[in-house]
Amino acid sequence: MKFIKREGENFVLHIGKRKRPLLFEVLKLYPLVPAAHHRVSQTAKQMDEHQTLLEEALAERRQENKRQLVAMLHEEQRFKETDTGYRLTLSAPQMEWLLQVLNDIRVGSWLILGEPDEKKGKPVALTSENARHYAAMEFCGLFQMTLLDAVEHRR
Amino acid sequence: MAQTVEPLVVPDIGKEEKSDPKGDLAPGFLVICWDDPVNLMDYVTHVFQVVFRWPRQKAEFHMLQVHRQGKSVLARESPERAEHYVHQLQSYSLHATMERDA
Repeated sequence: MKFIKREGENFVLHIGKRKRPLLFEVLKLYPLVPAAHHRVSQTAKQMDEHQTLLEEALAERRQENKRQLVAMLHEEQRFKETDTGYRLTLSAPQMEWLLQVLNDIRVGSWLILGEPDEKKGKPVALTSENARHYAAMEFCGLFQMTLLDAVEHRR
Repeated sequence: MAQTVEPLVVPDIGKEEKSDPKGDLAPGFLVICWDDPVNLMDYVTHVFQVVFRWPRQKAEFHMLQVHRQGKSVLARESPERAEHYVHQLQSYSLHATMERDA
């Protein structure tokens, strides 16, 4: 995927023919991060009410994201075919939304992989079961960098 | 935090009343972002810019603080505002919490 240009308030991106099905497969994994993964506080003990509110808010947001995602994947005009692939047009709020979705899949994949951390000498332990999550984590990172480059180009 | 690029210039960060953890505000909660090895540095910078409406240099400063020191205090706010920011940061899947200011 690469950023092509701005068209008014929209971002125009190119995605190759072989990359589009890959993007779709990765997006189908959403959501991956469990709501209870996020803690509202690391130290405070009397935060039950805040924690419940946080989990409810995140669950609601994910439900809405999933609804938008399904709609986008079934929207034929969203990806316009070209000679070399597809042209994807997204508004600024849609870019922001897609960044959140991709990062949920990236972080969720990382959790499934056992939270590898090369800096701490904890490499990825690949198995036939988790290999697709390693691929998803890496692809999400690449797609995110393209979107971030496009957003930065606007600023 | 997963590495992407590091800026060459460390910015001179100005004081902002609403987000200065040492500011002269009513006692409240600190909004803290913690380091993790998965979120991309550019992504974290972007999220700080969006959530706090910070300029890129200030967002990069806090991102690098997270990366190098393991955490960064992003704001000192009332419980409601702190909760709002934590919700925003976590909706981007950042590792953020609110802690009572001692």
